Amino acid sequence: MAKRTYEVMYIINPETDAEKIEKLNEAVGKLIEKEGGEIVRMDDIGIRNLAYPIQKKNTGHYVLFEINGTGQEILELERRMRVNDLVIRYMTVRVDEDRKKAEAIKAKREVRNEKRTTKFRSDETESEETTEAPAEA
Amino acid sequence: MADREMEVMNDRDGLGVGEDVIGDRPRRYQRRRPKQMVPDYLDWKDVDYLRQFVPERGKIMPRRISGISAKDQRRLATAIKRARAMAMLPFVAD
Repeated sequence: MAKRTYEVMYIINPETDAEKIEKLNEAVGKLIEKEGGEIVRMDDIGIRNLAYPIQKKNTGHYVLFEINGTGQEILELERRMRVNDLVIRYMTVRVDEDRKKAEAIKAKREVRNEKRTTKFRSDETESEETTEAPAEA
Repeated sequence: MADREMEVMNDRDGLGVGEDVIGDRPRRYQRRRPKQMVPDYLDWKDVDYLRQFVPERGKIMPRRISGISAKDQRRLATAIKRARAMAMLPFVAD
C-alpha cells in the first residue's frame, strides 16, 4: 500500500484530568501502531485559547500526531474519536502531497535562480564588449 | 498628455493597474507588491503567519490588497479554513 503522511490534530475537553489525557494519547498511539501506522511525531501542545467557543468552552487541550501509514489507521482513529466524549474536535490532514509539491517548487526556483545568475554574467561581458568596440574603432 | 503621465505614474512599480467590476462601475485599483513571501510549504498550524492575511473582522484578505499570486491565495485560503475548523482562527470576530 502506498505510504502516506497524515497530521491528526484533536482538541480535548480542557477540564479533563492530566492523567486521563495521557492515557488517551497513549491509547491513540497504540491504536495507530496496531493498525500498521508509524508515529513520526507526537506533540502535546497543551491548553490553548479557542478562537470561538466549542461546547461552551473557551479553551482546549490540543494534541498533534504525525503519522506514516496507509489510511487504515486514520479510519479507525476517526471512528473512535467521533464517539469519544473527551475529544471535542478532531481533524486529519494529508500532508505528503503538499510537501512534495513544496519541494518541487523549491527545486524549480533554485534552477531558475542559477540560470538567472549565469545569464546576468553573460550579459555583463557582452555589454563590456560593445562599449569597448567603438572606442577601439 | 497629462493623462498619459498619470498612467505612467500609476504604473511605476511595473505591476500594472487593474480594474475590478463591482456593480455597474468598474473600480480602478493599483496592484500592490506583496508585503511578504508565501512559503513553499504553507503550514495550516502556523497561526501567527496566517494572521497576517486575516484582518480584524476575521475575513480572508483579498488578493488585490495583499498582492500575492492567485496560486498562493488558493493555498492560503485552504490553510486558513483548516485553522478555522480547529478553532485556531475565528470564522467571524466582532
